[in-house]
Amino acid sequence: MKELTVKILENAPLAAGVYRMRFALPEKAEGLACGKFVNISVGDGAHLLRRPIAICEYTEDTVTICYQIKGEGTRLMSAKKAGDLLSCALPLGNGFSLEGAERVALIGGGVGVFPMYSVLKEYEGKGKKFFSFIGFRNKGAVCLADGFASLSESAEIVTDDGSFGRKANAVEAFFAGAEKAAPERILACGPLPMLRALKTGLAERGMDVPCYVSLEERMGCGIGACLVCVCKKSGKEENVRVCKDGPVFEIGEVDF
Amino acid sequence: MAELKVDFCGVTLKNPVVAASGTFGFGKEFNEIFDIGVLGGVSTKGLTLEPRLGNPTPRIAEGRSVILNAVGLQNPGVDVFLEEDLGFLKSKKIAVIANVAGRTLDDYAGICARLDGKADLIELNISCPNVKCGGMAFGIRPESVKEVTKAAKSALKKTPLMVKLSPNVESIAVNALAAQEGGADALSLINTLTGMVIDIEKRRPLLANNTGGVSGAGIKPIAVRMVWEVCSAVDIPVMGMGGIVTAEDALEFIIAGAAAVQVGTANFTDTLAMPKIVAGMNEWLDAHGIADVNELRGTLRLNG
Repeated sequence: MKELTVKILENAPLAAGVYRMRFALPEKAEGLACGKFVNISVGDGAHLLRRPIAICEYTEDTVTICYQIKGEGTRLMSAKKAGDLLSCALPLGNGFSLEGAERVALIGGGVGVFPMYSVLKEYEGKGKKFFSFIGFRNKGAVCLADGFASLSESAEIVTDDGSFGRKANAVEAFFAGAEKAAPERILACGPLPMLRALKTGLAERGMDVPCYVSLEERMGCGIGACLVCVCKKSGKEENVRVCKDGPVFEIGEVDF
Repeated sequence: MAELKVDFCGVTLKNPVVAASGTFGFGKEFNEIFDIGVLGGVSTKGLTLEPRLGNPTPRIAEGRSVILNAVGLQNPGVDVFLEEDLGFLKSKKIAVIANVAGRTLDDYAGICARLDGKADLIELNISCPNVKCGGMAFGIRPESVKEVTKAAKSALKKTPLMVKLSPNVESIAVNALAAQEGGADALSLINTLTGMVIDIEKRRPLLANNTGGVSGAGIKPIAVRMVWEVCSAVDIPVMGMGGIVTAEDALEFIIAGAAAVQVGTANFTDTLAMPKIVAGMNEWLDAHGIADVNELRGTLRLNG
């Protein structure tokens, strides 16, 4: 991980309430990988906390992130223009591992679709088969639909209200298509109720497929020092740090 | 190159910039970004005799120019620290300041005894606002400040004792004097101010703990005023903190009377904040023809 000042190349709306920002790194950063994140300043002196945002795409000297406007900080970020500088630490966290798996199910809900997209981009043309189950609130929130379709063996986009695709959430879509996909690995990111439904659903069906989830938590330092973003290890009186030990955890490893 | 070395109650700091407790862990993570050997010292995450899991999440929230935290003293316990973390900090040739907390006078004495002769300095946390038994009870009244300081001091034969003072009190100068009377070798201040942020949609506080400790750039004027008040009242050295972001911020504290400073929240905004403060302090002193940072201490000239 490195502390860098990055230069914004583009920062524009991607879907309702969601922006995509691509920025240039002043030097190559080692260890960029799908599932990792950046901790980025919103660019004014009054917001002292950086925003931890998943990497959506990267090259050796650029990174693309997609973020939802949730408050004053992300609103300030969305007003930044090409050429503006922001400070950040990157790459952070552990990321996804696909070792030993050829057929991979990706389950993403809301802004949780972006880490899933980072997996597709990283493994583009590398022979793995991806089955994507992607959920959004409604049609206005749908984004990257073409990308998910072209990079996956099959991709189903669903919405909570049925205004785009079937009326379902990403987990319901996954369980409907799981038999056909026959995944050897499941990766998921999205709201906690979605991840809980996935955990329960896998247990109920007795599906014994290695499953990894990417968690979100309010963070302080973003590098593992301050112990702000913790969650409890399942069955143990012990915490893990979302920023450093995660954000990706085996689904049974932690309570959420 | 100005002289930045400071003698702090017998502990040599290679410069007056110390990482504040709770923001820096035990140094290993920040050392992946920069060599923490450039710092004057590190105050560890608050240690207790037994491991603690801390508060539920969210543990952090933001206000304008401030943050609030309610971590609640999560730590692996002093024995794990001694076994797994002290050696690393020592290897960086920096002052290792063990921040300690407890529930009872015996806890404080016990943990001090464990660390005596091992840490370079003890920082007695009697002012954590985020746990019911984090010592805040000891930090409010001057009588109990004196009592807990005495208990800790009696367990220390080698390592000097620094008492960290709470700003959430009637008179921080009176409490500073109480700590000095209790045998403190030094003081650090200020700990966080107690605050609250509310999510107006949910009508709930943003922090799971409801209230938390306010820190960051916005509290600096309060901290400078309190450091000045305390330095005017006591004879022992003071480590000042509260909202330091730049070298100039740090120098304000030194002019107000602090011998050294701690930097906390700024580490979250910029992981290189502290090495930048060390470099900036050196530049400022050179530009002003001041050969030694110690010359600047307590040089405040009041108006009127």
